Amino acid sequence: MSMKHQTPLLDELEKGTFPSFVKEIKRAAEHSDYAQDLLGLLELSYKEKVTHWKHGGIVGVRGYGAGVIGRYSDIPDQFPGVAHFHTVRVNQPSGFFYTTKALREICEVWDKYGSGLTNMHGSTGDIILLGTKTENLEPIFAELSSKGWDLGGSGSAVRTPSCCLGAARCEWANIDSMSITNEITQHYQDEMHRPAFPYKFKFKVAGCAVDCIASIARADMSIIGTWKGDIRIDQGEVKNYAQNGMDIQKEIVDMCPTECISWDGSEFKIDNDDCNRCMHCIAKMTKALRPGTEKGATILLGSKAPIVTGALMSWVIVPFMKMEPPYTELFELVDKIWEWWDEYGKNRERIGELIERLSFTTFLKEVGLEPQPAMVKEPRRDPFFFWSEEDIEK
Amino acid sequence: MSELPQRQTDIGPPHYEQFLPPVIQKNYGQWKYHEQLGPGHMVHVAESGDKIWTVRVASPRLLSTDTIKDMCDIADAHCDGHLRFTTRNNVEFMVDAESKVEPLMKALTDKDFLIGGIGPRISNVVHTQGWVHCHSAATDASGLVKALMDDLGDYFTTKTLPNKVRLAVACCVNMCGAVHCSDIALVGVHKTPPRIEHDRIKNMCEIPSTIASCPTSAISPDPQKKSVKIKLEKCMYCGNCYSVCPAMPIADPKNDGIAIVIGGKVSNLRSNPKFSKLAIPWLPNTPPRWNETVAAVRKILETYESGARKHERVGEWVDRIGWEKFFKITGLEFTLQHVDDFTFARETWRMAATFKW
Amino acid sequence: MEKEELKKIIYQLVEKSTGKKKLKQSDILKKVAADQGLEKSEVKAALRELMDAGELIFTYFGGSFVEIPPKE
Ligand code: HEM
Ligand code: HEM
Ligand code: HEM
Ligand code: HEM
Ligand code: HEM
Ligand code: SF4
Ligand code: SF4
Ligand code: SF4
Ligand code: SF4
Repeated sequence: MSMKHQTPLLDELEKGTFPSFVKEIKRAAEHSDYAQDLLGLLELSYKEKVTHWKHGGIVGVRGYGAGVIGRYSDIPDQFPGVAHFHTVRVNQPSGFFYTTKALREICEVWDKYGSGLTNMHGSTGDIILLGTKTENLEPIFAELSSKGWDLGGSGSAVRTPSCCLGAARCEWANIDSMSITNEITQHYQDEMHRPAFPYKFKFKVAGCAVDCIASIARADMSIIGTWKGDIRIDQGEVKNYAQNGMDIQKEIVDMCPTECISWDGSEFKIDNDDCNRCMHCIAKMTKALRPGTEKGATILLGSKAPIVTGALMSWVIVPFMKMEPPYTELFELVDKIWEWWDEYGKNRERIGELIERLSFTTFLKEVGLEPQPAMVKEPRRDPFFFWSEEDIEK
Repeated sequence: MSELPQRQTDIGPPHYEQFLPPVIQKNYGQWKYHEQLGPGHMVHVAESGDKIWTVRVASPRLLSTDTIKDMCDIADAHCDGHLRFTTRNNVEFMVDAESKVEPLMKALTDKDFLIGGIGPRISNVVHTQGWVHCHSAATDASGLVKALMDDLGDYFTTKTLPNKVRLAVACCVNMCGAVHCSDIALVGVHKTPPRIEHDRIKNMCEIPSTIASCPTSAISPDPQKKSVKIKLEKCMYCGNCYSVCPAMPIADPKNDGIAIVIGGKVSNLRSNPKFSKLAIPWLPNTPPRWNETVAAVRKILETYESGARKHERVGEWVDRIGWEKFFKITGLEFTLQHVDDFTFARETWRMAATFKW
Repeated sequence: MEKEELKKIIYQLVEKSTGKKKLKQSDILKKVAADQGLEKSEVKAALRELMDAGELIFTYFGGSFVEIPPKE
């Protein structure tokens, strides 16, 4: 198919060495009217420097309140191919592993009913199928679900949980992030598909404090693998690193944030009581150092973006939780947190914002968590604290 | 139309296990160490002695099904039909024998896939939808990423840096892509509040929902005009009201632009996770190549490259030298916009008499 | 209580507040469970049948709500 619209500005972005999204849209445009008109619309945005999309319309698949996002062009007469251009969020498998057979199946459905354009993946983790019409939504869902795929979360619901690949190919995984993520996803299908919360709730699971999935910054509940006990040291491999040119004093000892390592050229020692498990030494000397063997997760809560009251990162609510199937302790905690959020949260209030509004101490009391120094950077600075009835001698 | 298959609900995603390459299934949770062999190329070794080689290539994230099928062809020919994507939109091809690595890399380069992104380099860029798909976009995302990475591509494929540098692009302050914890991130910004088209509002918009749409409660009714008004000092140019009420356009081609924030990180390595902080409040929005923005990122990157110690991330480097020195050595202008006046402002002011000249 | 009767109560609640206040799923569960002295899970099951039949739908408007589908 020849291109319907002239796109001199976009053509500029076909040049250069990095993979080009313009080439991708043009490839799809060989067989898709959606992609043809997307090119025209996008070229216009490049020329005028304004976007040409609008919200609007209530779209979805029957029974679900999530997984489909309505999208319309604001100039449909000029670009009828993208008059409707809805997004379908398909729940990715944990860890983003695929067989070619599975990917080809998705492509086939999408070539038949949609634009042929995707995002692999959205920032939440879903497979994003970009651009289809309202009347195709039910057929797409029937085709995908009959092949074993389901839609992801959107709206005031559990959002599609995601994770690093952890135990599948990483020696630092302290928890089986893929299994936990899959279990959470299956356990909370109703909460994902039928929005019932004040606002969105995201889970992200990282195998260790390197946090390749950025859970601490963008999940309402961040589950980060960690350990107790001593870092395992292979002194022979430490020497190999030294012989191969690593300046262990400068690159490891001096960069340990807790100053708990010593190295005299023959023995590498860690004062494990002082280690805060930042992962630096392990990451730099992966052959020589390995995490301790008592494994579990630190549970953190509350990250969100700056809108409206400023960005939050998640903070510790459970310093250490064993993570073994069927993950009952985790689910019980989550249910308690949601119950509290459901009771007090306002529309569009994230859990982190609610805790800020009603106070962390209220949260701890009502959810039944014991205060611990690991939950704070430092104790309070002011003397304005409260006592409850039972603290007062009558 | 042909008969549709029976739909199913609440089945969740397919179980990941069926997608794992056999060597991963066998050694799941039993990995011992890994070695980086090249810019986009590493090997993981299991307790059993089994090994898996991974080759990482960049993708533009926005992929046509045709390109996905090309990837599948390569995975079928070389990787027994398995492949995976990374959290930063890269694609990883894995093989279970060293002899299979060269042919795989050749097949990938023959198809113009760019191999790299592992180690102390720039990996692929986390980004949002922009003009490709979003109504609030102040700038495009895919185009900015492309322009940036065409310029910085060497840092993906060959050159190294003191540590990883994570780049991100968000096309408006909603920042779907979580740019607020990146080493260097670009954010599309509006500089002007929405314009209220009083004549159109009457017909097009539901006033209560328009008022409710504003996250800062800046919008109030204007009964005389049967319209709304905006309290300017409260408006943070987020564009939410425009989503609900098309008669309140916020796009402003002359004033919309790009801010650069730097120094964030999410990992706990050495120092705690950090938010990114404002380096440049506004650069002009100049598609298709955004030369000013690309040049500014390069300047910050090169200053970091020459000044940081090995293993220091951008934020750790700046924390060590101090922000006052950062502005001095980059030559970036420090403006009123850099001084925080939002929720957590006070913590950012200098409550000490120590700083560098 | 008969499920059909419960469904009617839920539908009427949504119908009554149409145009006044958008209801979230949890608003409905809380209110109907309290009014009728039922478990939230029972109300939820009935609501789900209404949804699956398309008599009520989810909408998104800066938050997810339960509404009556727009007339064609
Ligand atoms: C009160 C006004 C509104 C606000 C504050 C608002 C805000 C938001 C937010 C925060 C998101 C991203 C979060 C999410 O995925 O849930 C979003 C996404 C979206 N909103 Fe709105 N919205 C509003 C009204 C609307 C309306 C009226 C529609 C359409 C009828 C709409 C359609 C969408 C769509 C389609 C997306 C997802 C975009 C995508 O992923 O492609 N919004 N909106
Ligand atoms: C209407 C315009 C918007 C579009 C087209 C859009 C599109 C998207 C898409 C496609 C994703 C990835 C979804 C996934 O992977 O499942 C996403 C994620 C996200 N969006 Fe939006 N979105 C829009 C508006 C908003 C708004 C208004 C907000 C915030 C107020 C918002 C916040 C987010 C966040 C926080 C994420 C997830 C980031 C992460 O988990 O890393 N989006 N958006
Ligand atoms: C040298 C040791 C490291 C190993 C073996 C390692 C391993 C991995 C693996 C397996 C992934 C893919 C995860 C996934 O997509 O699910 C990944 C991605 C990532 N890692 Fe690491 N990592 C290492 C060091 C680091 C460090 C030091 C940082 C940050 C300071 C970091 C940050 C990230 C980020 C942001 C990603 C996403 C990158 C992408 O998807 O392209 N990693 N890493
Ligand atoms: C309700 C609790 C407190 C009361 C009533 C109180 C009262 C006072 C008073 C009357 C002074 C003498 C001021 C003067 O010489 O003009 C003072 C000085 C001081 N207080 Fe407190 N104080 C309280 C809590 C604290 C706390 C919690 C801290 C530290 C964490 C603190 C640290 C100091 C210090 C450092 C000084 C000496 C200040 C200076 O010389 O500049 N006070 N306080
Ligand atoms: C320039 C200032 C920033 C603005 C205006 C901004 C804005 C936003 C917005 C609007 C969202 C989506 C909000 C939501 O889902 O409720 C978001 C999400 C996010 N931002 Fe930022 N951000 C900024 C800086 C940062 C910084 C410095 C970091 C990290 C250090 C960061 C990390 C994140 C993360 C992780 C998310 C995803 C959170 C989520 O899923 O809810 N942001 N940001
Ligand atoms: S977060 Fe930790 S366990 Fe997970 S992939 Fe990254 S380094 Fe490995
Ligand atoms: S993990 Fe971090 S704190 Fe612990 S010994 Fe290593 S570098 Fe030091
Ligand atoms: S960052 Fe803003 S403009 Fe970009 S996709 Fe998200 S909401 Fe849309
Ligand atoms: S742009 Fe955002 S802050 Fe400003 S009036 Fe509109 S909704 Fe409110």
